[in-house]
Amino acid sequence: MSKKLLLDKAHIEGIHTYDVYRREGGYKSVEKALKMKPNDIVEEVKKSGLRGRGGAGFPTGMKWSFLAKPEGVARYLVCNADESEPGTFKDRYLMEVIPHLLIEGMIVSAYALGSKVSYIYIRGEYDWITDILEKAIDEAKQNGFLGQNILGSGFDCEIYLHRGAGAYICGEETALLESLEGKRGLPRIKPPFPAVRGVWGCPTVVNNVETITAIVPIINDGGDVYSKIGSGKSTGTKLISSCGNINKPGVYEIDMTISVEEFIYSDEYCGGIPNGKRLKACIPGGASVPILPANLLLKTAKGETRMMNYESLSDGGFATGSMMGSGGFIVLDEDQCVVRHTLTLTRFYHHESCGQCSPCREGTGWMEKIFSKIENGKGEMKDIDLLWDIQRKIEGNTICPLGDAAAWPVAAAIRHFRDEFEWHILNPQECLKRNYGLAHYADPLEKSVTA
Amino acid sequence: MNIEFSKEKLDKVHELISHYPQGKQKSAILPILHLAQQEFGGWLDVNTMDYVASLLNIQPIEVYEVATFYSMYNLKPVGKYIFEVCQTGPCMLNGSDDIIRYIQQKLGIGIGETTKDGLFTLKVVECLGACGYAPMMQFGKTYREHLTKEKVDSIIDECIAKAAMNN
Repeated sequence: MSKKLLLDKAHIEGIHTYDVYRREGGYKSVEKALKMKPNDIVEEVKKSGLRGRGGAGFPTGMKWSFLAKPEGVARYLVCNADESEPGTFKDRYLMEVIPHLLIEGMIVSAYALGSKVSYIYIRGEYDWITDILEKAIDEAKQNGFLGQNILGSGFDCEIYLHRGAGAYICGEETALLESLEGKRGLPRIKPPFPAVRGVWGCPTVVNNVETITAIVPIINDGGDVYSKIGSGKSTGTKLISSCGNINKPGVYEIDMTISVEEFIYSDEYCGGIPNGKRLKACIPGGASVPILPANLLLKTAKGETRMMNYESLSDGGFATGSMMGSGGFIVLDEDQCVVRHTLTLTRFYHHESCGQCSPCREGTGWMEKIFSKIENGKGEMKDIDLLWDIQRKIEGNTICPLGDAAAWPVAAAIRHFRDEFEWHILNPQECLKRNYGLAHYADPLEKSVTA
Repeated sequence: MNIEFSKEKLDKVHELISHYPQGKQKSAILPILHLAQQEFGGWLDVNTMDYVASLLNIQPIEVYEVATFYSMYNLKPVGKYIFEVCQTGPCMLNGSDDIIRYIQQKLGIGIGETTKDGLFTLKVVECLGACGYAPMMQFGKTYREHLTKEKVDSIIDECIAKAAMNN
């Protein structure tokens, strides 16, 4: 059984209230941190090897150490709770079930960074969770953990909620800061990075909800202890939100030492695929990361067992691997159509493109149109190459990573499922009535696959 | 309709503005637009947006820019109850297309339309972060999840009963 650091107390009745949370050892990390020097906290986080849990996986301690500290200028911590990556619902679970863990992590992080006023930018649709967090903030304040001079430390700490209004792009950190300033969520050109010029021109750190909650066990147990959990550069625990065609969709905390196969089939996690169907494909880290057919998902191209961690999921690069991403784990069974599923993703990115860069604004729309054409039995063979060409022209040619995120799922679908596309085009009538099915996607790989 | 917040809501507006540094009151635009939409008929007309601009001491165009960017702001009248059904990948895998079709048939409206009695609006939306509880929809402040045709029926009945009680 995986070690749990974030959700170990999630099942306790009333854990969303301050009293129960505190009784169970909550807010101890704040008491410990306030006796430490802020820089020593940053060092602990560096030692822990914690990587950003929002999707990019950038080392958190390093991000913190980049924060500029000019005299007399306010610094800000902003929590990114704009969870919108299809397949991802882990932050929602954390905030709903154990909201004080986020508040506790925010206070420690704010102290380490010298942020007297910090914000939680939460997606607008999570309206009821805003109420849950507001209550947690009030309770923390009543108990002296927020406000002026917290616990007599001399440190002033306020946390405010800022509710978005429906825009996936605001999960991108510079778009989020624009939105926090009351503007359209248009990503900024970097540099300057937020660590130098963030919200209102001030140095800012933006961290994902899960990243901030992980600060609590890191401070309680020490960065060294945290770094020994997991494997290699995948330290600590990771929340995986699993969905699609599985028996037990939900949020699971794993310590990154289990295999993908165990995660899908074990009763402790997803519990296998409903109705005895076979696995066809999976997007292991949120809609933006490459989809893999069953055979490449369970084993790497080298024939090794694929594990649920950063290194193993990306083994083989984009040619034969994928990414851990946000931990949004989407499973497709043998009766699902990869063309149709990818169509919904192209529609998603088209809808969510901010419109600032033409490759993304125009390209996402073109991809949706062509996918729709193929899915509806009107495709031509040249459409597949056209799709490939469009996604290549988006990738790397936009201000923010939404362009890449829109291109990668299309590239991976064509790379691994080209014959399913061709079947749609060669069978325009039949593809309206039935799906391509499992085909050879679960067959054992005979020899090493190379790019 | 008279576009002016009550005293209580105005206090809320001022509290929201106080969350941001002096002179950065524009930051409060998203929460205040949410409040305005809730108070003034479920959508934002030009008068409402102009009123919000005056509260924040910014130009009306700054409010229009924002209101047209974010999908949660309604820029035309909507029904009393809005069904916002997710149609992205994981929901599609679990039958969201059938649910959307069923609601269309049951209410006799297309996507983006409102029933003649002004009671229901059907919208399709992109991923709401409830993929493990699919298919699902946003319904007011909360989500309705693991939708089936029977669940949709009971939600519609619930709305009709509530509307009858309020009349």
